[in-house]
Amino acid sequence: MKIRQLVSLLALLVSLAVLVTGCGGGQSAQADNKGPVKIGFFAPVTGPAAADGESVLNAAKLAVEKINSDGGINGRKVELVNYDDALDSKQAVSIAQKLTTKDGVVAVVSGSYSGTTRAAAKIYQDAKIPMISAYALHPDITKTGNYMFRQSFVGSVQGKAGAKVAVDLLKAKKIAILMVDIDFGKTLAAGFREKAEQLGAQIVSVDSFSTGEKEFTPVLTKIKQLNPDLIYIPGYAPECSQIVRQAKELGITAKFLGTEGADSTVQFLGVAKDAANGVIITTNMNRDSDRKIVQDFIQGYNQKFGHKPDMVAASTYDAFMVLANVMKTKGTEPDKIRQGLSELKDFEAVTGLIKGYNKIGEVKKAVQVQIVKDGEFHYFGEITDDDIITPPSE
Amino acid sequence: MIVQQLLNGVVIGGVYALTAMGAAMVYGILRILDLASAGAYAIGAYAGLFLYMATDNIVIAFIGAILLTGFFGTAVQKLLYIPMLNRPPIVPLIASIGLFIFIQDLLRLVAGPRIREFTVQLPFEGVKTEGLAVHPTWILIIVLAAVFLVFLWYVLTRTRIGLAWRATAQDLEIAKAMGVNINKVVALNFFLGYSFAAAAGIMVGMLYNSVFPTMGDVPAYKMLALIVLGGLGSPVGTVVAALLIGLVETLVAGYIGFFLPRDAIAFVALIIILLVKPEGLMSKKA
Repeated sequence: MKIRQLVSLLALLVSLAVLVTGCGGGQSAQADNKGPVKIGFFAPVTGPAAADGESVLNAAKLAVEKINSDGGINGRKVELVNYDDALDSKQAVSIAQKLTTKDGVVAVVSGSYSGTTRAAAKIYQDAKIPMISAYALHPDITKTGNYMFRQSFVGSVQGKAGAKVAVDLLKAKKIAILMVDIDFGKTLAAGFREKAEQLGAQIVSVDSFSTGEKEFTPVLTKIKQLNPDLIYIPGYAPECSQIVRQAKELGITAKFLGTEGADSTVQFLGVAKDAANGVIITTNMNRDSDRKIVQDFIQGYNQKFGHKPDMVAASTYDAFMVLANVMKTKGTEPDKIRQGLSELKDFEAVTGLIKGYNKIGEVKKAVQVQIVKDGEFHYFGEITDDDIITPPSE
Repeated sequence: MIVQQLLNGVVIGGVYALTAMGAAMVYGILRILDLASAGAYAIGAYAGLFLYMATDNIVIAFIGAILLTGFFGTAVQKLLYIPMLNRPPIVPLIASIGLFIFIQDLLRLVAGPRIREFTVQLPFEGVKTEGLAVHPTWILIIVLAAVFLVFLWYVLTRTRIGLAWRATAQDLEIAKAMGVNINKVVALNFFLGYSFAAAAGIMVGMLYNSVFPTMGDVPAYKMLALIVLGGLGSPVGTVVAALLIGLVETLVAGYIGFFLPRDAIAFVALIIILLVKPEGLMSKKA
């Protein structure tokens, strides 16, 4: 009897689930040309990466507001359908399933890290919904298929740009690498090492640390003995801020070159304080740019959220702007959006002039180099060499 | 270099000792693996930060924060653990995990997900020579850790409450039958345990100039390794284990460069010790 009850309960639940998803499909924006255009979004708003999550969610909201106040997509409003993945791949996957089957979104922006974005990518690809990864760097994301695009540089491009800065601009001969031991750090370090050695520098040590690490004095004490000219730190702001602080306390005089992971006003500049001065990073955003779009974005964000935006916010904002632009000209069907993205040329974005996405969806634009002066990021240079900024096409 | 690395190790070990001590004390008496101690560590750091922002006096902030967190500890034991005493140990363990997650998310909602800076200018200087650098916060950590641990040793071995404490740790029921006021002992135990955790949280917040909601994550699992390694519930064992792990982590990172993350070393040590001496470093065989 009990089993029979259980079976009937299960049957009821299954039929309910079918009904609900059926209804969801029926309301999909693909079939409806009058309602709002829905863009899906996922970011780690809670959990260990909550600070970046908050930053990118702010940027997503700001972007959607801007698109709507400028008249929407040919008169139709844009609606942000956002979820929190808590930096958990399992949640990213179920969000992807929800966005593609129930919410009826026409495109998706990933405001999350590489692990979660990679896990979700296949579901968007299978559902033929285009996704732009705002700042996740792992090469496999775009390799998932032709519906995947990336707004930030793939790790190898930024790594090579870093090597060019280190060896050509900063004249470093002996370089130590201290990287975060995940996809992000590894791909950047690999690109950096290859190009730096090609340019004639010597890599004296490669050490790694896990995310969330706070104590770097043991490894920095070791690096100090090797006396490098420069320490390359592909990592995120919470760890990089500790590295530069502790290095200063140990009396290390080498230059520091970071990546876009350190591009955070609160978490890097705020925590590292004076120790951040002189640190150089390769990143996406040139804060000193005189282009109106950049200054409008920085001011708009600052006014609304009370602090200056960081790189992840700028990249996310751009991903939405690119989508809006493509939808205005090509239409709002996922296929047309995908087509439009692959044909995009010379689009003025906050993170620079987007020359286009190559055949595997990697963006081509100049790499920005910023230096910290008096506790703020400022222009140091720009890497425009074609052989460095052209992303791999397979 | 070796002197610098040994010093690095002692500082890290001192922080671990304070962090794990609270949980070790709780386990010693109630046999509960209290993950929420790591939440107390974060609460202490935030309380210290906010009190410091309000008063601009680090001494008041420090004392205020450890008292507040201590009272929070007594509330936790009264409302959460005491009602669960007769349940299987898995029940309070799961409750403590739940409480820990609750604390983290509450802190995130109240104070925001971003790192908050905890910049304190100490009134004394550190040491900085060619071969050796001693940060002023390190000096504070070593001195405070020593003071706290001596205080705990004194209470445990030289006072009546310490005697009652040890009796309760040996057998709660018999101690009760002998007239020990169990409620008072447990309440004080939690008060001190959570105060220790809070002190560690504040010091770590100052050391790294950052306080954030998930700062208890790593201590949560590492302190478990430390109290098991030290011989479950043995305060001295926990201190020895903490210093040992601090030193081993430092030396491995400084000289060998390991293929595992630094935090994994505590668990490698745990596995080795459990294989060789299953009762833990300092525990006597039952």
